[in-house]
Amino acid sequence: MLLIENISYRYRDAATPALQNVTLEIPAGGVYGLLGPNGAGKTTLISVLSGLLTATDGRISLNGQGLNEVRKENPRAIALVPQDYAFYPMLTVAENLRFFGGVLGLSGAELKSQSESAIAFARLEQVVGKRAEQLSGGLRRRLNLAIGLLGKPQLLLLDEPTVGVDPQSRHFLLDSIAALPAAGTTVIYTSHYMEEIEAICQKIAIVDQGQVLAEGTLSDILHSPEPLLDIGLEQPLPDTIAQRYSATLIGEQKYRLILPSTVTLQNLLDELASAGCSVRNLSLGQHDLEQVFMRLTNRSLRD
Amino acid sequence: MSPRLLALWLKESIALTRDKHGLLALFIMPTIFILVMTMALRDAFTPGVTIDVSYSVVDLDQTPISKALVKRLDRAAAFKKVEGSNDLGAARNQLLQGKQSLVLVLPKEFGSRLLTPGGTDGKPAEPMTLLLDPALSPTLQLAFRNQVMAALGAVRADELTVKAGKLFGLPVTPGATLEKDWPDEIRSEAVRGNTNAKIPSSVQQNVPAWLIFAMFFVVIPVSSIFIIERQQGTLQRLRAMGVPFHLVLAGKLLPFFIVNQVQAAMMVLVGMYLVPQFGSEALELPSSLPLLLNWWAVSSAVSLAAVSWALLIASIAKTSEQATIVGGVGNILMGAVGGIMVPKFIMPASMQKIAALSPMAWGLEGFHTVMLRQGSFADILPSLTQLLVFAVAALLAAIWLNHRALAAQS
Repeated sequence: MLLIENISYRYRDAATPALQNVTLEIPAGGVYGLLGPNGAGKTTLISVLSGLLTATDGRISLNGQGLNEVRKENPRAIALVPQDYAFYPMLTVAENLRFFGGVLGLSGAELKSQSESAIAFARLEQVVGKRAEQLSGGLRRRLNLAIGLLGKPQLLLLDEPTVGVDPQSRHFLLDSIAALPAAGTTVIYTSHYMEEIEAICQKIAIVDQGQVLAEGTLSDILHSPEPLLDIGLEQPLPDTIAQRYSATLIGEQKYRLILPSTVTLQNLLDELASAGCSVRNLSLGQHDLEQVFMRLTNRSLRD
Repeated sequence: MSPRLLALWLKESIALTRDKHGLLALFIMPTIFILVMTMALRDAFTPGVTIDVSYSVVDLDQTPISKALVKRLDRAAAFKKVEGSNDLGAARNQLLQGKQSLVLVLPKEFGSRLLTPGGTDGKPAEPMTLLLDPALSPTLQLAFRNQVMAALGAVRADELTVKAGKLFGLPVTPGATLEKDWPDEIRSEAVRGNTNAKIPSSVQQNVPAWLIFAMFFVVIPVSSIFIIERQQGTLQRLRAMGVPFHLVLAGKLLPFFIVNQVQAAMMVLVGMYLVPQFGSEALELPSSLPLLLNWWAVSSAVSLAAVSWALLIASIAKTSEQATIVGGVGNILMGAVGGIMVPKFIMPASMQKIAALSPMAWGLEGFHTVMLRQGSFADILPSLTQLLVFAVAALLAAIWLNHRALAAQS
């Protein structure tokens, strides 16, 4: 288990800290999602975990051992797949894998077998002899991911690994990443795409402005603690009702209402019927991540 | 051998072999420069070679003495002699038409009045006349006049010797004429080491000069790879993999050091075998092993300076275009100032002082010390020290810049 306790980080000359008392509990053997808009602090957190940045205070431990000690004991324990295509465009796929494997200290048969399994994992067999600069965006992402798997890391940090990828490749990438924990790798996955997080992560944290706004399993987070009702109507919502339930307009004749309790739903429907408002659709209690995020931050995820 | 360092070397080598522009700058450019510049400057480095200015003589006297003067002048061989008609008017026309630049007119009675210019009759002798093209440089006019005066003096001395010999009954070899070849030419010898040899030729100036220039052009491939690594986040990834920055630098130093040594071998071969194909003299390397080792020491020091300089430029430049411009223009300036393009010894003293500031000049000085003066290791030590200090300073600056860039990110 990766335990992050009260981590803070401030970039030089920055007015506000990029991370503020971040505490997370990341269970081993799963895909953990870090969701937040651009600039929320996801990449900073990933950089701290990968050792590129040093947190100003707080403590991080993997299975009870400090992260620096883990790294000292096994430099390949934690791997980072950066947002950029961090490899050599003039080298072929095979040459890139051989290079990064060599830099990790792999050699001989071990290097060969790990390169081969990385190629197989990312299904790069058709392009091993191709120079990286000739690959499509999707294949580049796969190569970027394959390099991260060299050295069989215990913890794999994926920073927005699907940016700029066509839907087919995205689907393939997500499936592959979802399969990683089965091979014993814990994955931390950052994204600002809620669908991706919803699709592959068992546990998630929502971060914004360097702070953790919510953490837990996906169902915990999607379950709304207060009975929010999203309702679509054929006619505009009468003002008296709107005021009583603190309604906000969230679409064309779509409203979000706060109910004192779920039992008041029947009363509300009666009131609407007597006001001549017919209901098109409604949802109570279960929300998608976008709604949760808006509730937590009053902002849209893709600002 | 650490597999990590091996991987870095292999990566750098593969990347370089795929960098067409880099290879062009490293190997083809200096070969062409050496060939072209050696041909172009061949005569500028060889004193005594025929000057490309022609003259003719109008001999109105036609005595053995006048002919002896003509022959002596021809033997001096600095100017090209053209056989013209012995007619003053025709010679003037040739000058007007620009077909030749100098016409020496020997007056009648030149021979008879050689030893008695004032004449026995009290009448002054008619002087020699030099007709010239007004466009001819004053230096060359003066040079030709001096040659004529020298030839005249020699002919006069010969004549005097013969006359005096007859007068005093000295033995005169039968058949000894005024045209006899006297061993009175001057041969130029440049002093180097313990042996005397010829003055440096064009090829001896140009091969080391353009080799140094070419070595500094590692800035193009070094920075193109380094900037890709920085921009694409590969350096970050390597850091996250636990590769320290000094290892990344070491991974670049050795491959490009080897590239520089391959350049050195190639340029020497060009000087030895290709240049003679174009009619110039071949490059001569020092023949003894210690001198060859000294030569290699200079070549290594130049290489270290060049690669470190390239790493510094690569650390300063934001884009590879910037690196190409800053690195390329920087090299051309260093070359122009440092005696690569224009040999230092023909620069005025003030420029020579500025030249001494260019690392390329330090390298060239080192090569010349070994090749022309057969200098010992102690003799090349000042050049080596300058180059190595420069290399270390550039390398430290590159490391400092990279640390600063990292600190700015964090």
